Formats: sequence, structure tokens, C-alpha cells
Amino acid sequence: MCYVKQKKRGIMESPIWGNGLFKKKNKEDSIFTALKKVPIFSDLTPKELTEVEKIVHRRRYKKNETIIHAGDPGLGMYIIVNGSVEIVEEDEKAGKRTLAKLSDGSFFGDMALLDEDPRSASAIALVDSDIMGFFRPDFLDLIYRKPKLGIKVLLALARIIGERLRHTNELLVKIQERKDTPRNG
Amino acid sequence: MDSYAYQLYSQILKIFWCVLLIIIAIAFIVFAFPYIKDVLIMLIIAWLLAMLLSPLVNFLEHKGLGRSWAILIVMILIFAIVGVLFILLIPRIIRTVEVVISKLQSDVITEYSLKIENFFEKNFNNAELARNVTATLNELGIKLLGSLGEFFKSVGSFLASMVIIPFITFFLIKDSRRFKRAFISQVPNRYFELSLNILHKIGNQVGNYIQGQATDALIVGMLSILGLFIINLAFHGPIPYFVLIGMFAGLANLIPYLGPVFGAVPALIIAILNNPPNLGLVLLWIVIVFIIVQLIDNVFISPMVVSKSVNMHPLTVAVAVIIGGNVAGAMGMLFAVPLTGIIKVSSSQVIWGIKNYELRHPSRVGENLSKKNKQ
Repeated sequence: MCYVKQKKRGIMESPIWGNGLFKKKNKEDSIFTALKKVPIFSDLTPKELTEVEKIVHRRRYKKNETIIHAGDPGLGMYIIVNGSVEIVEEDEKAGKRTLAKLSDGSFFGDMALLDEDPRSASAIALVDSDIMGFFRPDFLDLIYRKPKLGIKVLLALARIIGERLRHTNELLVKIQERKDTPRNG
Repeated sequence: MDSYAYQLYSQILKIFWCVLLIIIAIAFIVFAFPYIKDVLIMLIIAWLLAMLLSPLVNFLEHKGLGRSWAILIVMILIFAIVGVLFILLIPRIIRTVEVVISKLQSDVITEYSLKIENFFEKNFNNAELARNVTATLNELGIKLLGSLGEFFKSVGSFLASMVIIPFITFFLIKDSRRFKRAFISQVPNRYFELSLNILHKIGNQVGNYIQGQATDALIVGMLSILGLFIINLAFHGPIPYFVLIGMFAGLANLIPYLGPVFGAVPALIIAILNNPPNLGLVLLWIVIVFIIVQLIDNVFISPMVVSKSVNMHPLTVAVAVIIGGNVAGAMGMLFAVPLTGIIKVSSSQVIWGIKNYELRHPSRVGENLSKKNKQ
């Protein structure tokens, strides 16, 4: 009996079928869906996504558990499969400052795919979270082994960073304008 | 204060269990070592081979071949090489060494002993000293060649078990990522990135080191063969089996400082046993050839192909070779230095990780946050 038919008939819900092989397939499906949502993998074909799936690491973090620490060498990016993560900047004087709250399908730490510079902020799980890690050494290996696929991911990454840079420039211009306005006025 | 005492108690308990586990593990290894020695050596060789061949598999994959096909092609190549070694070279080497030993035990040694005795009697008027010197030299020569024969025989038995090694190598290459992922999945979240980063760095450095050593050994072997071939041309073939001797010199070069000497000795012994008319000159040229090869190796080849991060103190090399010899005989001596290199690279990467990751100070952002939330 094929997997699709079983799914249609609702056999997958059964606790017997839910364990073992089919459960694994279900788990892999969720990785696949989560990967598809990430912009740097959005252009990939299902076959290419399967290649990426082979090199990602799946982790479970408990509530309040730190995923990455500010100051640690950057190693790669994380994708939230299921859960919620807070990106925080901690200062000894000013204390903790929340930069962003991320949920299912969001990703963080992508700059670490390019270099080993220290992490600029920490990431903490707000609830029990299912996270997927995609790391630079595996990425570099992928670029060497499967250049076409590697370039696709690299281009998407460059596009995202380019967009961010454009956005930062716009913000800078706005701040500059705000600074200049009182002086001129 | 109570909670502090409780924390301290749990920390001490944790350390106690860790130390106990380490002691049990060491005791188990010491106890089980004689039984698992052969399997362990096979695993190490398969792992070294996998490290050596992975770049080739990756290269074929880069050229558009599927990973399974790439591994299959490389494995066929290994089987071919192992087959050629097994069928052609090893029996010949063992036969050669046995012939050399029997020759040494018979006429040639007696002839040279008499020459040395006469020399001492003439110059120092001390026949007893001469007899002592020749007896010691004789014993040393037979011992050296005996261990050489044993070495090649152990290589032979090794090659017999090498039917298994390619299979282990195949799965080590094919499933290396899966093994790594399975291992990493067991690491607690706190040490996850640190372990992953260290593992990648160790993999890279060890891979480069092993590939560098193999390239170095190959080039030194080829240069030695070329040098001995030229001597053979110039002096009408005083060194038979020069290809085997050159290959041995390349292998021996894996042992820094001592390797070049080990490499030159078989060539000198074979030349002495062959006893050509201008023996002195031939011996001198053999020494010159090996010195030139070493110069080329140290000045040009080594700096280019062998990682500088694995530079080892001569004392470390000597200790490693002695320990390797005690643990696994001639094979142990050969692999002691590369293994020490691997341990050195790995430990330096672990130290790098501990220094650079959050482990360097105990305050954890998440823990601080949870405390704040509780408040």
C-alpha cells in the first residue's frame, strides 16, 4: 500500500503506523516544507531540496534555552521548523534588548554562512522549539560537490543580503535627513 | 547559601561520574586492547584511506558523477591497487628479505667480519675488541633485517585482511556525513555548535595532513627510485630491487628524522650483499642520493604539501615511534607519527574551540533570561 493512499485513508494517524518508517517520512516532510519556506532555498527543485535536507542538522531546544550566544564564532544559519525564538542583544549596563521575535519558517544567523565573525546577538527559544541548522562547512562542501546547486543558494543569499543593505541605506538616509532637518529649520 | 551548596554538590557529583566513566573507559581499552588490536588497526587504516580518497570522490562528484558512482570507481581503483600489491609485490618483497637474511647469515658477513678483525689486529693489535665489534654488528644486522622481514610479513597478512578494509573504507566514505550527523545529534545543545565546528576543523586539517603526507611519501619514493636507477645505470646495476627499495624509502619517510635513515639502510645492505667491484663508491653515491632526496623533500616538497601546523619536536617523534613500535610492531612505528600528528591537530582545535566559544565564561544568556522571567 503506497504512502499517499495510506495518508488519504488516514492510516497515518494510527499510532501503529505513526511509529517506525512512516513517522520518519512525516518528519522528513516537515523539514522539506520548512526548507521550502526559507528564501535562500525557495528557487530549488525538490531534488535539490533533498540534497540540502541531507546536510541540515535538526535540534530541539527547550523554553529559555540559548541557541546561539553573542560573541561565539558564527558557524551557520538556523531555521525555525516549529516554535518561537527571541533575538536578544545583551549589554552589561543596559541589560537585555529584544531585537526580534521569530516564529515558524523564520531564519536567523544567515550571515555566518559567509564568514566566522562573532555572532552579533544571542538567540533564545521562547517556547520548546524544533530548529534546523544549515552550516558553513557543509555549505562550502555543497558548493564544491554540486556547483549548480551551490551557486543557486549563494545567489539567493547574496540577494537577501543586498536587500538588507538597501534597506539599511534607506534607514541611514532617513536618519540623516532627520538630523539635518532641525539644523536647516 | 543552601542552593549554592546544592549546586556545588551536584557539580562535584557530575565531575565524579565523569572521572569514574573515563577511568572505566581507559580500563576497558587496556583490558580489551589485545583482543581488539587487529580490528582497531584495520579501522584506523580504513579511516586513513577514507580520508585520503574522499577528495577524489568529491572531485568526481564535482565533475558531475553521482556520489555512489564516484565511490564505486574509486573503490575499483583501490581493489586494483591492492590486488596488484598482493599478487605481485608482497611475495617478492618477503622472498627478497628472506634471501638477504640467509645471505647475511652465511658468507658475506663472515667475509666482512674477517676484514674488520684483520683491520683491528693490524691497527690496534686487539683481536678481542675486533671480535666483539664484529659480533655486535652481526647481531645488529640480523636483528634489523629480521624485523624488516617481520614488517613485510605483517604487511602481507595485513593485505590478506585488506579484503575487509576496502569494504570498511567504502562505507566510511559513503556514510561519513551520516555518521557525523548521528554523532553530533547526541551532543547536548550547549556544546552543539562548538562540537560541530571543531569536528569540521579537525576533519579539514587531518584530511590535509594525511593527503600531504601521502603526496610527500609518493614523491620521495619516486625520487629515490630515480636516484637508485641512475646509480644502477652508472655502475652496471649494483642495486637490484631498486623499485622496492625506493617504495620502502617513500613509506619510511612518513617517520620524520628517522625515516630517511630507515629508507637508505636497505639500499646500502643490498649493495653490500651484491658486492660490486667499486663498492665504496657505490655506497657513497647511495648516501649522496638519499641526502639529495632529503634536501629536495625538506626544501621544496614538504613545505608545499605537508601542513605546518603538525610540525613536531624530534623528541615527540622519537617517543611516538617507540610507543608505536611497542604497541603494534613495525606497522605501529610507521603509523605512530601520522597518528601523533592527528592527535596534535585535534587537540589544538579543541583548545581553539574552548577558548573561542561561550564555554570561556560561565554566564549563559538563556539562563540569565530564565532567572529574570522567574523574578
